[in-house]
Amino acid sequence: MKRFVVVFGVVLVVLFTIEMLNPVQTHVVVPFTSILAKISALLIAPFDDSVIAYGKVLQFQDTGFAVSIEAGCNGVEATIVLIAAVVAFPASWAQRAAAIGLGFLAVQVMNIARIISLFYLGDWDLDIFRWVHLYLWPALIMLDVLVVFILYLRYLSQQHADPTHAAA
Amino acid sequence: MLLPENPHLRQFLLFVFALIVPCFALWTVAADVLAMPVVGLADMIMQAWFPTVVEGLRFQGSDVVLLTRFGEMDGRPVAAELAEYQLAYRINPAILSYSLPFYATLHFATYKDSYLGSFVTGVLLLYPLILFGLLCLCMKDLMINLGSLFMEQPGVWLPPGSVIALLYQLSVLIVPTLAPIGVWAWQSRETELFSSLLNLEVPADDARSS
Repeated sequence: MKRFVVVFGVVLVVLFTIEMLNPVQTHVVVPFTSILAKISALLIAPFDDSVIAYGKVLQFQDTGFAVSIEAGCNGVEATIVLIAAVVAFPASWAQRAAAIGLGFLAVQVMNIARIISLFYLGDWDLDIFRWVHLYLWPALIMLDVLVVFILYLRYLSQQHADPTHAAA
Repeated sequence: MLLPENPHLRQFLLFVFALIVPCFALWTVAADVLAMPVVGLADMIMQAWFPTVVEGLRFQGSDVVLLTRFGEMDGRPVAAELAEYQLAYRINPAILSYSLPFYATLHFATYKDSYLGSFVTGVLLLYPLILFGLLCLCMKDLMINLGSLFMEQPGVWLPPGSVIALLYQLSVLIVPTLAPIGVWAWQSRETELFSSLLNLEVPADDARSS
């Protein structure tokens, strides 16, 4: 347990510090955030042709309402927490890599749901948008990370209980 | 590979999704009252730490205002007596204290023998982190807005600017969601939910069904 806490804390702070570096923000985080905005627009477009995306901004063409996806809204921090937890828990590196890959996908699916829901909520009511954006969705995203990690723990414990599954 | 059903996990997730909105709604109603102890302590610490810069932290509606001892003249910060108005920065402590309803959700969604005592303990563990986050938030605002007037105070120790920035980001982006999970996990480590997850007591049915 102590080892988990120490490794988790160290990996978390190191990755978070790296994420905050200007070159990483410029060359990795901002382009990734723009991709998220474009994916969100692509998902919305078949149902709502009044939506456009440019850079990290999603906008309604008719009302002019727009949201900009900023640091903290791109799921990167949640992914860092997941990586730290997975790395800190004893498992093979193949299992860790698979958990991080699938976990990243799970976080981003949830995050795109967040972006789209916030985009429509903001166009409807700014007070509710603010509440859901600042407080509820961050908790839900971290809950997503927790669920992914719990499922990973269950998978590992199942492997431990019945090693024949390891080859399956 | 399909994972066998885990009734403890299913119950936990069901209760989490049932409780999360009510817990956040209750917290929204009581957010100002819940923030008061932390704002009061932060007010005392900021005044004692930076007596020549900070006048205090005051409630203004649901926000908190960080009052400085400076005003502004010709776009530059000057002593408050020389300016027509006082520089103050709006701070939203709720971006830190939403850790409380998140913790409440996780806590009450987990099947335990007793709830209230450990809940109070958990809240008391989270409060210092909210206080620390509020201090980081205040320092970040002072650093950005006052620059050298804040960073180069004679005889006052301050962390380097990069450390303040990093602590601020950690306190706002990570701690409010991660700390409740940490406290909840520690308090729930002996529950059936955790035992079943970590395979400490694998139910016979679970073992057979795999």
